[in-house]
Amino acid sequence: MTKLKNLFKKTNYIAIGRAEEEKEASKMPSVPEGLWVKCPKCGETLYKEDVREHFYVCPKCQGYFRIKTKTRIRMIADPGTFELWFEDMDIKNPLNYPGYEEKIKELQEKTHLREAVTIGKCKIDGTEAVLGVCDARFLMGSMGYVVGEKITRAVERATKLCLPVILFCCSGGARMQEGIVSLMQMAKTSAALKRHSDAGLLYIPVLTDPTTGGVTASFAMLGDIILAEPGALIGFAGPRVIEQTIGEKLPEGFQRAEFLLKKGMIDAIVEREKIKSTISTLLRLHKGSYKTLCFERQKEKEECDFPRSEQFCAWQHVEISRSAERPTSLQYIERIFTDFIELHGDRCFQDDGAVIGGIGFLDGQPVTVIGQQKGKNTKENVIRNFGMMSPEGYRKALRLMKEAEKFSRPIINFVDTPGAACGIGAEERGQGEAIAHNLKEMFGLKVPVLTILIGEGGSGGALALAVANEVWMMENATYSILSPEGFASILWKDGKRAKEAAEIMKITAKDLKELGIIERVIAERKPADTDHISEITDQMKRAMKQFLSEASKKTPRQLTEERYERFRKM
Amino acid sequence: MFQKILVANRGEIAVRIIRACREMGIKTVAVYSEADREALHTQLADEAICIGPASSLESYLNMEQILSATIAAGADAIHPGFGFLSENSKFAKMCQKCRITFIGPSAEIISRMGNKSEARKTMMQAGVPVVPGTKEPVYDAEKGKEIADQMGYPVMIKASSGGGGKGMRICEKPEEFCEMFRTAQMESVRGFNDNTMYIEKYIVHPRHIEFQILADKFGNVIQLGERDCSIQRHHQKLIEESPSSALTPKLRKKMGETAVHAAKAAGYENAGTVEFLLDRDGQFYFIEMNTRIQVEHPVTEMVFGVDLIREQIRIAAGYPLEKKQEEIQLNGHAIECRINAEDPKKNFMPCPGIIEDLHFPGGFGVRIDSAVYSGYEITPFYDSMIAKVIVHDKDRISAINKMRSTLGELILEGVVTNLDFQYEILNSPDFQEGKISTDFISEHFSI
Repeated sequence: MTKLKNLFKKTNYIAIGRAEEEKEASKMPSVPEGLWVKCPKCGETLYKEDVREHFYVCPKCQGYFRIKTKTRIRMIADPGTFELWFEDMDIKNPLNYPGYEEKIKELQEKTHLREAVTIGKCKIDGTEAVLGVCDARFLMGSMGYVVGEKITRAVERATKLCLPVILFCCSGGARMQEGIVSLMQMAKTSAALKRHSDAGLLYIPVLTDPTTGGVTASFAMLGDIILAEPGALIGFAGPRVIEQTIGEKLPEGFQRAEFLLKKGMIDAIVEREKIKSTISTLLRLHKGSYKTLCFERQKEKEECDFPRSEQFCAWQHVEISRSAERPTSLQYIERIFTDFIELHGDRCFQDDGAVIGGIGFLDGQPVTVIGQQKGKNTKENVIRNFGMMSPEGYRKALRLMKEAEKFSRPIINFVDTPGAACGIGAEERGQGEAIAHNLKEMFGLKVPVLTILIGEGGSGGALALAVANEVWMMENATYSILSPEGFASILWKDGKRAKEAAEIMKITAKDLKELGIIERVIAERKPADTDHISEITDQMKRAMKQFLSEASKKTPRQLTEERYERFRKM
Repeated sequence: MFQKILVANRGEIAVRIIRACREMGIKTVAVYSEADREALHTQLADEAICIGPASSLESYLNMEQILSATIAAGADAIHPGFGFLSENSKFAKMCQKCRITFIGPSAEIISRMGNKSEARKTMMQAGVPVVPGTKEPVYDAEKGKEIADQMGYPVMIKASSGGGGKGMRICEKPEEFCEMFRTAQMESVRGFNDNTMYIEKYIVHPRHIEFQILADKFGNVIQLGERDCSIQRHHQKLIEESPSSALTPKLRKKMGETAVHAAKAAGYENAGTVEFLLDRDGQFYFIEMNTRIQVEHPVTEMVFGVDLIREQIRIAAGYPLEKKQEEIQLNGHAIECRINAEDPKKNFMPCPGIIEDLHFPGGFGVRIDSAVYSGYEITPFYDSMIAKVIVHDKDRISAINKMRSTLGELILEGVVTNLDFQYEILNSPDFQEGKISTDFISEHFSI
């Protein structure tokens, strides 16, 4: 339908009396340089100011722009606090690689940077830290002598000054033009970080797109906590090299930050918008030991053991402890702790969704919290595996407990599991070894450890988080050698007699308190559910503060001794 | 003067702007979406550039495409019309950066007047009366209730970024306050990603009176009288007239002076509208300033004999105002009815379709601003307004009679419209006697 096409007379034929109008050569409209930018991920043209306001994240596809050093420092450091270190180092050309010096000079002029890494001291929300930023524009952020030396010197100085180190990694790896000298930087930076770590200091690398090669295989992966930006390419061998070597196409998302998180290699992915606040919270969470409590010391232990309102038989307790209504670890964590930051992975194989771990504040006191997590529905349970931990889960828990120990931070564990995961994979990866290793290592932890059973406490799977200075149980939780069904089936060859088994197994909080297996019972006026959780968490929080007040008076040696004696008499 | 103007709009307003340009000897560039290939504005302009698919987000709201089209066509100015990008300060700023004249006020004024609390603050500082309400934003229902209790009910709950009735509630009882506040806030968060809310005294049975302003680059500001837009359904205007039967010459003068004062306080430039609520006692309160041409601008044009679009273009090109305030003469009465392709029987649901047959009325003092023609297909993608019927006569009653006669002559076959509904309003004795307020529709019609 083009009925109106070319029917109307155009303006040129209409107006009269415009000829004498001044025909000043008005400045023709044009797009000024830099008004638009192209998204590197989706290719869309974007208004640069929008991109800047969105922290250099594409407003359309959420793809991440690589950002300049100056921008990164502006995003992280408090205004005016960044103090440059080691800017006067000259490059070396150990291979006498032709044109190398000229290339560097050219890049220095173009980027206004001295080298691929810029390092210095700054304040992050008031906390002093050493901050390093790698820049992809400078030979892909590759590590030659100067980069390695700058990082090493900075880490050494941080060790001397007792400062944490934050390093934004962005690098293709070792710098080819400097040959074997570049390779040695990997060992040199790692060595400096070892001393920094041995001094009990915090190091957080933030992996940005891309972090590969020799950098991944050295300082990028040595953090107490490793963060990454969404979608960042992180790997040792680059994807192209791998594809050529194995002759296969790599799957979508391979070597991306999300992939690494799933594979247990990094602690968390943080959006650029939240990176400063996350780092700042982490810095605060790594201050102060269990000995210098952040809240006021609580009075002597008030006996808050309860008048029981309802009498349940053992089997009813079993049913309640398994109920889908029962609050999960996360629900307690959300209500008891503030600024909780979840950390992921065993740094070996995979992140186990059946256990949650992280750091948060208990009334201002940093604590490491670990909890077995059941799903509320099938979809959640695909990730949570019904709270049944795999070997990588126990290894993640232990890694986080060791991290807590390094920073002298108390540990609080929540137990809620039918038992450890049972399957081929779990056995292949050493389920027994993982549990045993936890039992042994937990005895040595030089910080207070508290474990609370909130639901099911199934066997070794529960015990591997319960080698604590004190173990508490909620009134309707259970703790047993195995499930009543299993007990009946092994002893009586009849799983159906579970109810009968439950009555004689001594699995309730009351029985176990009498047996001296646990120290305290947390009262439930009604079986815990989401609606009544706050009265329980209030009680728990008070009791936790009492426990930490007591523990703060003890030396690390007393704490390990106490734990030893606690189990020695059983 | 501009050589070529790109019209960043569609429908009747695009046609209206193109006409003004043609008369002024300025070449025009239309932009159109894939759904508007056959639209009148596309065909009428000297050039037309397709800027994207039917969805307005990807076409008429796509700033990058529109700027590229402007530069490619070598146009030196953009007229944004109303709606779409007309009150988008970011777009105005981008135009400035690309050395394209945005026909309207500066980005800074758009942004300041577009933010309701900022606008209110500016007006209060200038001594312009505003509706009693919160000076600071409210985010929390309980806190809001305390304020409302003090102010006395009824109160209006308003989202800072809200518009077109979204994020807005009228609360008459204290016990309903908290829930209403939360739902309105939720609407605003969903629609505009902003949880900033305001509470103000709700004026019972007010008139919506707005003053047309023209301001040039030399600090001259004049007002072209008022428009009474009280006939509204869910804050969508249906009939507008000028002058208002509620204003005495004395009140008109006072309100007009206040409007000029308000525009000066805002540092305003180009055509704009200062909106007031007028209560039954003749008290008036500033509500907001619209930094664009309005849909209902023709009624003002008719009674004052001024081409507002032409004035907009002249002002943007740096010319001083042609007339002084004392040269502005009100002459007769004008009424506009908006004809929408919507079904009053089905809750005014939009009714797209093909216009099979069309007859527009004519005659002395009759004006139709429209972009439809026989065989035109109304698509479901945009606003459902298809025509504005404007009449001009010596007084209000004559104008109403003329409008009734004119609407009776209008034939539009193929799609359902609100024509009969407009007729019913005109037939209402209360309307004829000028007993109207913004509650007129809800009180006279069970809809």
